[in-house]
Amino acid sequence: MKQGQMQNPPQMPRQGEDAPAPDVPGSSMTSRAVVASGGDAGLAAALPAPVSQPRTTVVGDTSHAWRRRLAYFFLIAYALLMFVPFGWTLITSFKTLEDSVRLTIIPQPFTTAAWEYALNNLQPNIVQMFFNSFVVAIAVTLTNVVLGSLAGYAFARLRFPGRNILFLIVLATLMIPDQLRMLPIYIITNSLGLGKGPLQLVSIVLVLAISATSVFLLRQYFLTIPKDLEEAARMDGAGHWTTFLRVMLPLATPAIAAVTILQFQGTWNGFFWPFVLIRDQNLWTLPLGLTEFRLVGGFGTNWPPLMATVVLATAPILLLYLFFQRYFVEGIAASGVKG
Amino acid sequence: MTAASATRPSKVAPKRVGERQEALAGYALIAVPMVLFLVLNIGSIVYAAFISLWKWNVRTGPQKFLGLDNYVNALNDPIFRSAITNTLYYTVIWVPLTMALGLFLAVIVNQKIRGKTFFRGAFYFPSIASSAAITTIWIFLLNPFGLFNEVRGVLGLNPIFSLLGYDPNQDWLGDYHTAMNGVIILNAWTTSGTFMIFYLASLQAIPHEVYEAAAIDGAGAWDTFWRVTFPLLRPGHFFVATVGIIGGLQLFDQAVMIGNVDGAPANSLMTLVLYLYNAAFKRLQYGYAAAIGVVLFLIIFTATLIQRRIFEGRQPATA
Repeated sequence: MKQGQMQNPPQMPRQGEDAPAPDVPGSSMTSRAVVASGGDAGLAAALPAPVSQPRTTVVGDTSHAWRRRLAYFFLIAYALLMFVPFGWTLITSFKTLEDSVRLTIIPQPFTTAAWEYALNNLQPNIVQMFFNSFVVAIAVTLTNVVLGSLAGYAFARLRFPGRNILFLIVLATLMIPDQLRMLPIYIITNSLGLGKGPLQLVSIVLVLAISATSVFLLRQYFLTIPKDLEEAARMDGAGHWTTFLRVMLPLATPAIAAVTILQFQGTWNGFFWPFVLIRDQNLWTLPLGLTEFRLVGGFGTNWPPLMATVVLATAPILLLYLFFQRYFVEGIAASGVKG
Repeated sequence: MTAASATRPSKVAPKRVGERQEALAGYALIAVPMVLFLVLNIGSIVYAAFISLWKWNVRTGPQKFLGLDNYVNALNDPIFRSAITNTLYYTVIWVPLTMALGLFLAVIVNQKIRGKTFFRGAFYFPSIASSAAITTIWIFLLNPFGLFNEVRGVLGLNPIFSLLGYDPNQDWLGDYHTAMNGVIILNAWTTSGTFMIFYLASLQAIPHEVYEAAAIDGAGAWDTFWRVTFPLLRPGHFFVATVGIIGGLQLFDQAVMIGNVDGAPANSLMTLVLYLYNAAFKRLQYGYAAAIGVVLFLIIFTATLIQRRIFEGRQPATA
């Protein structure tokens, strides 16, 4: 136990010093808060972006060439394992049903019939589901960025009684399984009248409006911004609000980007809450639609249009991933996996 | 100057006007998120615990106080027990398997190799797609006439599979002997990249000097990994295992998508969470469902505490 404390950064003298002291409580508190929160001891370890300078390990320059070759063999084989299922999905979406269970790499015949079927014959319409998914994902992303940066800034920079306890409560919510919350939230949203019509989408946004991960990510980032910048703004007579909007927020762009990607992806892909909270077909999001199409009616083994739908549901996230890969990685390194 | 008070988070009530203003600003900024956290998270726990003590009417609410009867009933319910068994089976196999894969990938990707960024991106790739999309793909690949069965036929592996008792058109996800293993492999495939990312962060936190020292002592790559890297990754193991166990105990999406809410085939995909969902929305037994939720929470909580004990041990953390 005592040795465990050695992981805290070497403490600066704690009292009455002037120059670099203000940063100390912040940083030492971080490790303490994270450790105390139970499930997240590794968060601190995970935070530094893995994208940064990797170090060479075990195999040095003296290693044998065969070992390197073996490594490449594994890398390429595993990479293929990652891509083949997606590639096969794309290929299948241009096949006929008959051809879809055959091992032909080039569709015979090549047809876009499955795409036309997916776009026109599904109930509800796939464009409608695309729209539903998009609206919910955008709304949840917005609320997380706005509420998360406000709270993150407050927890990082403003001093108020009870700050540490409240932040611990926020972190502790990461330990609560969604399934325990399922029934209470279902009852609460229904009694608020959010169980009917388009308001069902609102209930999802409400549940996902702010996640502890967003607050945590942004708080950690605000902590790294030098206090001098803020103090300079204060000197110029700016209040908390102006300092926050004009100085701190622009500096936190990378963290905001990570939260944006994480939340958009998570909500777009989300299954559990839509499955619990949405009853009307025309409000289905894409994951819900995919599941229901497979389970209900004869669509279940009509593979080509089903695969076309999979491609459509995955495409936006894939595009985001191609352009913003490092934010995906940063976000996930700080959050964890969802069921 | 307030430098002195700035060095410590003030637990004393603020005296100066500036401090009071700062405190008010702080409360204002966290107000909305805090209300949401308190109501939707902390409030939910309390509410769920409350519901679990009652026979609960879907329309009118509390009907009859049952005390712990819902919990006792759950323990005597054979389907609940098989749900626990299935969930534990999944977690016990999936977590170590995926950790091993993730660690293996992280160690390889962390070396001096070409295309490092590409491989990292590739391995993480399946994690970005939705569980619905991935599971649909999986169902397609593993259907009796799917790619997997076709390919093993072409590769001439069918004699081996028939020795194990599987025919050429085995319905992997439709047979209760193999359905759960199919889900385990699916999720190992999609999550190994995520675990790789976690392990990479931990690997890069190990100081280089440690390896230099090992090299001076003449340790080979194998020894260095098991004697140096692996023990120093302790915080990483802890984090990955915790995240894995928490995720594993909550298995739901894939089970519903493959076996519908019944946990088909033959209850083999009936997980704890799926059973909870069933109790609530199929059988409308809210009190009973809430009790299962509380049990799930306690299991997760205990698992996390045990983890902390095991991994924190004596080893000083390197992170």
